[in-house]
Amino acid sequence: MHSPPQIFLKFFRWFCHPRLLKPVEGDLLELYDERVKELGKRKADRKFIKDVLLLFRKDIIRPTDGTYSLTNYGMFKNYFKVGIRNILKYKMFSFINVFGLAVAMSVCMLIILMLADQKSYDQFHENKDQLYRVIGTPIKGSIPYATVPMPLVKTLKEEYPLVEQATFLRRGLGGDATFNEKTVELRGYFTDNAFFNIFSFPLIHGDRATALSTPNSIVLSSEKAYQLFNTENPIGKHVTFEDRGLSMMDFDGDRPPVSLGEFTVVGVIDIKNIKSHLEFDAIASSSSLPLLYKEKLISDVSQNWEYYWGGFAYLKLKPEATNASLDAALASIAESKYLEAEELKDEEIREFGMFGQSINDITPGILVNNEATFRLPEIAYYILSLLALVIMVMACLNYTSLSIARSLTRMKEIGVRKVTGATRKNLIYQFLTESIITVMLALVVASLLLYFTKEAFMDLWFNKYLNFELSSSLPVYLIFVAFALIVGLIAGTYPALFLSKRPPVFALKTHGVPTGKWGMQKVLNVSQFVVSLVFIVTSMVIYNQFKHYTAFEYGFNSENLINIPLQSNDYEMLVNEFSSISGVTKISACDHIPATGTTNITELKNRDEELDPFVMLQLNIDRQFISNLDLELIAGQPFSTTALEEGRHIIINESAVEKLGYETPQDAIGELWKKKNDQSLQIIGVVKNFRASLLINGDNIRPLVLVNNAEEFNYLNVRISEGNPQGTIASLEEKWKSIDPVHEFEYEFFENELANTNLAIFDVVSIVGYISFLAILIACLGMLGMATYTTERRTKEVGIRKVLGAAEMTIVFILSKSFLKLLSISILIAAPLSYFINSFWLDNLPNRVDFGFGTVVIGSLLMLGLGLITIGSQTFRAARQNPVESLKDE
Amino acid sequence: MKKFQLGEFEEIVMLTVAILYDNAYGVSIKKEIESRLGRSVSVGALQSALKRLEDKDYLASVDKDATQERAGRPKRYFKITSLGKQAMQHTKETRNSLWDAIPSISLDVKFAKVYDA
Repeated sequence: MHSPPQIFLKFFRWFCHPRLLKPVEGDLLELYDERVKELGKRKADRKFIKDVLLLFRKDIIRPTDGTYSLTNYGMFKNYFKVGIRNILKYKMFSFINVFGLAVAMSVCMLIILMLADQKSYDQFHENKDQLYRVIGTPIKGSIPYATVPMPLVKTLKEEYPLVEQATFLRRGLGGDATFNEKTVELRGYFTDNAFFNIFSFPLIHGDRATALSTPNSIVLSSEKAYQLFNTENPIGKHVTFEDRGLSMMDFDGDRPPVSLGEFTVVGVIDIKNIKSHLEFDAIASSSSLPLLYKEKLISDVSQNWEYYWGGFAYLKLKPEATNASLDAALASIAESKYLEAEELKDEEIREFGMFGQSINDITPGILVNNEATFRLPEIAYYILSLLALVIMVMACLNYTSLSIARSLTRMKEIGVRKVTGATRKNLIYQFLTESIITVMLALVVASLLLYFTKEAFMDLWFNKYLNFELSSSLPVYLIFVAFALIVGLIAGTYPALFLSKRPPVFALKTHGVPTGKWGMQKVLNVSQFVVSLVFIVTSMVIYNQFKHYTAFEYGFNSENLINIPLQSNDYEMLVNEFSSISGVTKISACDHIPATGTTNITELKNRDEELDPFVMLQLNIDRQFISNLDLELIAGQPFSTTALEEGRHIIINESAVEKLGYETPQDAIGELWKKKNDQSLQIIGVVKNFRASLLINGDNIRPLVLVNNAEEFNYLNVRISEGNPQGTIASLEEKWKSIDPVHEFEYEFFENELANTNLAIFDVVSIVGYISFLAILIACLGMLGMATYTTERRTKEVGIRKVLGAAEMTIVFILSKSFLKLLSISILIAAPLSYFINSFWLDNLPNRVDFGFGTVVIGSLLMLGLGLITIGSQTFRAARQNPVESLKDE
Repeated sequence: MKKFQLGEFEEIVMLTVAILYDNAYGVSIKKEIESRLGRSVSVGALQSALKRLEDKDYLASVDKDATQERAGRPKRYFKITSLGKQAMQHTKETRNSLWDAIPSISLDVKFAKVYDA
């Protein structure tokens, strides 16, 4: 006897309504049998399949409600229904749970978004799992360097077969490219054709196989190509390039322009739509370097194993090679080139080590020096995640403690369920279902909150450099849902185990009298408030520190002073032109702006060289600088007007007087010293101490040497009169355009520049402040829940007390007493704790603000106030209630 | 008179069940309809109609005759209930009354053609 296609028969048996299954299956088989005899097996099979598929219709398919099935579907449906009913019935508690969880989840989701954004970097490379960057460790245990010596790549390529491709990205391409009188600024690297074999940067013009293989060829980013050539095809066009020493990371490394000659455009990379840790406007062929070395336009470090900050080494390993085998190779190179090298100029480099970093581990990755672009190191994410986790745990604890507190209202239900045959497992499932429903509601609210926190986060100062995109995609949403499920399970597990534990008799007999000691909930609540207070005090301290820095007395007058980068223009010409503008009162020049992050170092040698050289800060200034910034000359004279003395006379500050070993400033005047290159220097003046380095760099004002050296000037300091600054700036810009039509006029108010150095601290204030706000919010929500519950439980007691003549305030006090105790305990623990934590980090901070018990007291009072409002909202309501209302039922 | 709801196919099935009287089960009903009306009927369409009629209490069923060639599966024999009989009668009467109400002239095809022109 023939049998029909089994898979379809099985399918039919699976979907068919059990009531119809047997007779219809019989009909089908009877028909099949007949058809096999009449038409043959193949046609019968086909007809059978058609019949089965046509049977797949509404009336025949088994109903989906589980009445006939053996799954737990029906039970879960019931849990779901009861869960929803419970949420709707106790709106107050549901609100507290959902809102508290949502607030915490939104923070966690923000972190997930950040990590997802970072993880999406460098994922477009085809062989991303084979790509590595070499990291150098000059000193063991200190922060490693992303840059390595240049000859490393050649050695790796030639001597180590595990390396399939290798390229070196030499830094030092940064300046102006000109084509047909149009000039754009380019920053980038020298590299070779292997770059395109290793990375998958998409070329929109040009040939991957040959690009950058000939000398003096250049590949541009699509943005820069558009700026230079508009829509014309840029391939084969010649641009002249003048190097100004710009790099991707710093913004004021200007130096006089050096022409590197003509470059031919051989490709255009569409880098804008790509997320990579590498950013550049242009890459030029490294085969152009030998000629540039010869002309002494760029220093030759291609054979120098000790110059480890020249650029980045990227490798593509053979598929079978591992990170460990690369590390072994690098270790053997380090051994032969450093540890056992015969001759080293700098003995300190003998310990130099290297290791491979997978391209997947760069964003987010370990903290390294000389990074290619601005990025947050891993540790920052760990800290942010930790903060978010603390908040999340607090919210979960809220859910847990509220669920347990309310367990008594659920005892009857649990008892009845148990008596009618529910096992403990069923009850656990039920309570987990409820917690997951709550968390899913919280997820919806959290998504809304996330929308706002995301906006606020993107507005933070550091995002200007980090370019977080924080776009949500399907995988991210799936992670969110998975995260919510995990939160639901974690928050719900303890209540589920706790509630399902009671034997049914106990569950049914208990008559709604709170018997538990509530020890657990008290501990949870106290810990929440302790965490909140620590956060509150910390954010207040950081904010005070921020205010302290912004109001800091630098020792010079930065008001109404604007700094204009020279952008390699002649400073005297600019001074002459700008002086004629009416709003300009004074102009001076310097090589870097003091107290904004850049410092230069110089060494002063004693004439007889009997002492070790003194390391000092150096600032190159013109004659006007001292009077322009209102620096006070306390001894000697200012720089003289004769050009002969330029660069030979120096003015020092008070710290330098002390360091060089003079009793009084007057003693130092006229003394002779030598520069590192043995040029002799004479001290002609002493200025009062002022801040030349960042506030965060040290408590003391470091010794400083002021030199009048016009060659080094990079900035003009223009003091403008108070009225109409915008008008003055407009006329400055006009003048600028007549002198330098190529570069944009740039300027910055000195005041703003100083303020900007503290913006990073303000970002920390915003983040910690927000976290502490959430912490106290969640803690208060938790307390609100407890207060609501206890006052509800005690309405009868309150009624009786009132009838017997208790005053409202007495009742409020009785009801609040236990909570007040909790708050006091929290403050007792948290106040000293937060004092020690904050003194600890503050001790390591230069120029710190005074931190007394005042801040702790204010923080404690703030928290106490919020706690009292929370409790009071419930207790006052309970105390006001008419006793008739609370006593009349029963 | 919304009491009796009977679709076109449902009516055919009811009539066929009545015709077959003692031998009305899935396969036989299908074959009877196919041979009398000259149209093919899928098992799915038939079974869903039968189920609907049974749900409406127009048909009653009994399972028996689990034979060898049906791999031990019973046949489900259908019978018309008194409610089903009423429904059929009602449908028939409605039709008849509609037929009776047609004026003889409206079915004169020649006339219709004049309109056409």
